[in-house]
Amino acid sequence: MKSLLLRLCVAAGILFAGLTTAFAADSKLIVALLPKSKGNAYFISCKAGAERAAKELGIQLLFDGPTDSNAAKQNEIVENWITLGVDVIAVAAENREGISTALRKAQKQGIKVVTYDADSMPDARSFFVNQATPQGISHALMDEAARLTGETGEFAMITASLTAANQREWQKYIEARLKEKYPKMKLVAVRPCDDLKDKAQSEATALMSANPNLKLIMAICSPGVPGAAEAVKQAGKTGKVKVVGLGLPSENRRYVKEGVTDSVILWKTEDLGYLTVYAGVALAKGELKSGAKSLKAGLLGTFAIQGDNILLGKPFIFNKDNIDQFNF
Amino acid sequence: MSRHFRELSVAAALAAVLVALAIFAPAFFQPQPLLSLVTREAPTLVVACGMTLVIICRQIDISVGSQFSVCSVCAGLLAAMNWPLALVPPAAIATGALLGAVNGVLIAGLRLPSIVVTLAMMVTLRQGLNMVRQGEFVNLPDRVQWFGLSQVDGQWALVFTALLLLVVLGLAMRHLAAGRFVYAIGSDAEAARLSGIRPQLGTFLVFVFMGGLTGLAAAMNMMQSPQVQPLAGSGLELKVIAAVVVGGVAISGGRGNLWGAFTGLLLLACIAPALTHLHIESYWEKAIQGAIILLAVVADSVRSRNEIR
Repeated sequence: MKSLLLRLCVAAGILFAGLTTAFAADSKLIVALLPKSKGNAYFISCKAGAERAAKELGIQLLFDGPTDSNAAKQNEIVENWITLGVDVIAVAAENREGISTALRKAQKQGIKVVTYDADSMPDARSFFVNQATPQGISHALMDEAARLTGETGEFAMITASLTAANQREWQKYIEARLKEKYPKMKLVAVRPCDDLKDKAQSEATALMSANPNLKLIMAICSPGVPGAAEAVKQAGKTGKVKVVGLGLPSENRRYVKEGVTDSVILWKTEDLGYLTVYAGVALAKGELKSGAKSLKAGLLGTFAIQGDNILLGKPFIFNKDNIDQFNF
Repeated sequence: MSRHFRELSVAAALAAVLVALAIFAPAFFQPQPLLSLVTREAPTLVVACGMTLVIICRQIDISVGSQFSVCSVCAGLLAAMNWPLALVPPAAIATGALLGAVNGVLIAGLRLPSIVVTLAMMVTLRQGLNMVRQGEFVNLPDRVQWFGLSQVDGQWALVFTALLLLVVLGLAMRHLAAGRFVYAIGSDAEAARLSGIRPQLGTFLVFVFMGGLTGLAAAMNMMQSPQVQPLAGSGLELKVIAAVVVGGVAISGGRGNLWGAFTGLLLLACIAPALTHLHIESYWEKAIQGAIILLAVVADSVRSRNEIR
């Protein structure tokens, strides 16, 4: 009996403490960050950056999302945040149109909305924190390929499919860059891998035997990079045929450390989370208005704004020297 | 001769492609890249063997791609947990057989149409896997690749395993009672029942076998690389069904054999590398494969019409 009473007292104490902190936190700005899926290493890394920014700015950060990539669940979470009355909602949209209705509703309630990683409809948010423009990605890939081959010789490309919109767009910019800046390099083939690592490996194997002078394979879809690397390794051409591509450090770490893959290109996901929180807070405080040309984000410095896109800037190149610092 | 006309015509088409390559792109026949390519198709052959049995039995299994992914990820996780390597393939086979048994119970036990059951299975397994893994690769310990053998020995071992399975199964289907039962069930389940075969049990066992082979294939695929992609196996069902149909196995059941399916697989599998070697744009790959399948189906329909006459 006595112990029950004690427990009740403790429970009441905790409840009271909880309430006071809730009221105390009321004065703090609340930024709610919605990933496409919360278990994904990519978004966990975004969250780490967001937490850093939240600490520097002294705001409260909420982080919640679907366990799988589920557009309907995203809407539900946004609705809950509207009820909760958060100050800023930052969303990586799973479904561009799907999420926009809920975001418009949030804006009507006076909540500031930004998107990051994947945009919603433009009228449903104030700014999109754009991690990489197609041009930025393509130029980084082509420049890196040129650097690795000494700007001469044959190279081949592996894409996800010949019809995917983003792949087509990147391919177009890569070919334009090639034509403009690297006349001594020649793109000998473009092969699709259907987003399958194993098919990429077969394609890369055939590419190397069909093109004996091949100096580099560039994979512009993430499963293509380890697939091409495995093919180069099995062919015993490590170092002779270089591999570069767009992908996650965790999927390529082994090959980068073995020297098969030279460079993996992506953006720094932590910086994306960091910049998103700074943008959201600046927006809520009225420091960031539409038409602004730049945004200052704490330790990372100033970022350019193009229209309503806040640009994270040049992609990041992961290589042998730095890849161990990244765990996504 | 006329009895094997269908299989021989596929073999002739394959020979024509190989001759064209020998003349215009002899680099295709360099031993190392060729061995790598053939090894990549070894797991596909194992699945195609199972699919041949399923289709001869007048059923279909479009969940093999998803089963393959689930078995790959399970095997990969076990290997990553440092299970003894010898236990990993049996575990993959058991996983596959279990999934096959679920299909089998629904199809043979409840007599539901296999295309619907396996379609549901395909979607469920794929989505379930997406939810659990979020597309994340399974990184394997170093010793898993090639089962501790050298690369070339490992590749030969995998190719040999697949070929051994093909030969044993091919002979069993021709000469063993169990093999003939599968044909009997596929030709006419009622007649088979009247002659003392239990068609439902037979169908169930064929699906369990299909699952087991898919598990084996997943293990064989895992051993070729140091990481497992959860998406591995997507589209595999189309690849093997196409190979089996091109190889002259009748989709209406009861007719065809493993040698045909094997030739069909080789023909379809060499299209992509052949195009790369002939420097032809890859847009043609799927179109050519589609045309081959269409041609095979038309040939079958012409033949069966002639037989009726």
